[in-house]
Amino acid sequence: MSTFWSLWVMFLVVLNGSITLFLFMWAQKVEIPVLEDGTTGHVWAHGVLRESVRRLPGWWTVASAAFFIWMCGYLLMFPGFGGFQGLRGWSSHQELALDVARNDANIADLQAQFASLTPAQLAANPEAQQIGERLFIDNCAACHQRDARGNPRLGAPNLVDADWIWGGDDASIATSILEGRQGVMPALGSIGAGKVTDVANYVLSLSGAPHDGARAAAGAAEFVVCSACHGANGEGNPMLGAPRLADSTWTWGKGDLAMIEKTVTDGAHGVMPAWKARLTESDTRAIIAWLRSQSQERLARL
Amino acid sequence: MAKGYRYFEAIEKHAGKLGILTAIMVSIGGLAEITPLFVEAHAITAVEGVKPYDPLRLAGKDIYVREGCYTCHTQMIRALRAETQRYGHYSISSESVYDRPHQWGSKRTGPDLARVGGKYSDEWQRLHLMDPRAVVKASNMPGYPWLAGEKIDAGDIVARMRALRRLGDPYTDEDLAGAPAALEGKTSLDALVAYLQGLGLPPEAQAAP
Ligand code: HEC
Ligand code: HEC
Ligand code: HEC
Repeated sequence: MSTFWSLWVMFLVVLNGSITLFLFMWAQKVEIPVLEDGTTGHVWAHGVLRESVRRLPGWWTVASAAFFIWMCGYLLMFPGFGGFQGLRGWSSHQELALDVARNDANIADLQAQFASLTPAQLAANPEAQQIGERLFIDNCAACHQRDARGNPRLGAPNLVDADWIWGGDDASIATSILEGRQGVMPALGSIGAGKVTDVANYVLSLSGAPHDGARAAAGAAEFVVCSACHGANGEGNPMLGAPRLADSTWTWGKGDLAMIEKTVTDGAHGVMPAWKARLTESDTRAIIAWLRSQSQERLARL
Repeated sequence: MAKGYRYFEAIEKHAGKLGILTAIMVSIGGLAEITPLFVEAHAITAVEGVKPYDPLRLAGKDIYVREGCYTCHTQMIRALRAETQRYGHYSISSESVYDRPHQWGSKRTGPDLARVGGKYSDEWQRLHLMDPRAVVKASNMPGYPWLAGEKIDAGDIVARMRALRRLGDPYTDEDLAGAPAALEGKTSLDALVAYLQGLGLPPEAQAAP
């Protein structure tokens, strides 16, 4: 704040305070003439309303004086009187820093304990799970859903099954989260609608799903193109994020013919944002731990 | 002092005088709080590297205002731990220099958006704006499906940018000349997604086209 504006604010504060104080002191002393009927003689609305006289109650006077003193104390201790920072040197940024430090100190023991455990061990720790779940809901649920079962419209995979596209060890999952992942399946509609249907039937045959045998046989030749990424037998490639096709878990739908045809024709490009700017290493471990606990629970139910 | 009563009477019995004096007393607060900030706001400069909105984001910002997104979303992360933990670094005034008017807002039905840029994918933002329930089952945010079918009118973008330049935004002549081409074939949805994805990015990323 420049000196001018600082003085401006000080002037207005003093002006306002002085007027208020003056009125406060003066009004205590003013004598109000009272008529015989107990009113001041002021009438409104053609005599319907007449003003009677009451002294301000004592508590009001005391409260007003107290607030006045409180104001002076406040302006002395805290910022508010122009550019004067107040004797306590309070600032909201400093308050935040203190609060963060206090919180860090509070959870330091917990963090240290977590750091010595693997996500699998953390998965048995209720506090770690609570933290993990909270972080997941805040950051991940919008795409992977609250139950972490994924959203086919975004190509966001189920994270609580035993199937991992980019690798299921702790390190790979942490990389998926911190660095983000983007699989690119090219649009291959140019091979012609007939051949798309053939190869889609072949893909269904890989997992033993119901399919048209003749078309699948014809599609086998086309699959050469696909095997570059998805592997000769559709086993998938975690380096490219090309999912395993020889199983019954699907990212982009339920694995019916129409969905596979659509994926081949239009391609698929899921975008998993990188979280390293928003989440710490230890946040990530808590999330992985929560995911592990959820999938254990789920597998146990099945 | 006892005579002082006639001054009270003079004020109390004349609605006009009473009104004027009340207004003066009330406005002292405003003069002290608003005027210095108002005048000093013009002295705030952008963080180094922050450029004014490119044409697509500028168009997106206008749609954000038009659709009233600010009625449910703030773009103001306060310096409180609960907020910085959830949304990131607190907002600073120099981040809003090119926002006319700023979109700080005061009501959070939905989350703060000051640093939502890059949090989700473009595709998520599209789906979410078209039909929020498609991605967030329990969302009570309204859908904005018409945005996808609405071509952006590039006709007045140059005039808008010129007006902003007059207010001090450093657009160059090339920026103005290239603006209509940048909006070629874009829909309102494209513009709004570009605007959202640019929110709260660090200066280097925001400057990139
Ligand atoms: C904008 C939507 C979006 C958000 C938000 C998001 N993800 Fe993802 N995530 C995806 C998509 C899409 C993929 C698939 C990427 C691909 O394979 O192309 C994915 C993939 C993953 C994978 C790899 C899965 C596998 O099978 O290898 C993990 C792990 C993951 N996400 C965890 C998370 C976590 C944890 C968060 C929150 C911190 C999160 N995601 C937030 C969209 C999202
Ligand atoms: C350049 C590598 C590449 C080639 C070639 C390729 N794919 Fe893919 N495919 C991918 C990637 C990567 C994904 C995952 C995309 C994503 O989720 O982001 C994918 C996804 C898919 C899916 C969806 C899987 C699911 O779980 O939802 C199907 C089905 C599929 N591919 C079939 C094929 C077929 C059939 C061919 C050959 C005609 C083919 N792909 C060729 C890389 C490739
Ligand atoms: C009726 C209030 C309401 C209005 C109006 C509204 N939103 Fe929302 N918005 C929400 C709520 C509630 C959420 C949280 C649930 C969700 O993600 O859908 C949300 C979430 C969001 C998110 C995701 C934020 C995050 O970090 O997860 C974005 C982005 C968003 N809104 C953008 C917009 C835009 C752009 C508009 C204007 C076109 C808008 N909203 C209008 C209520 C609203």
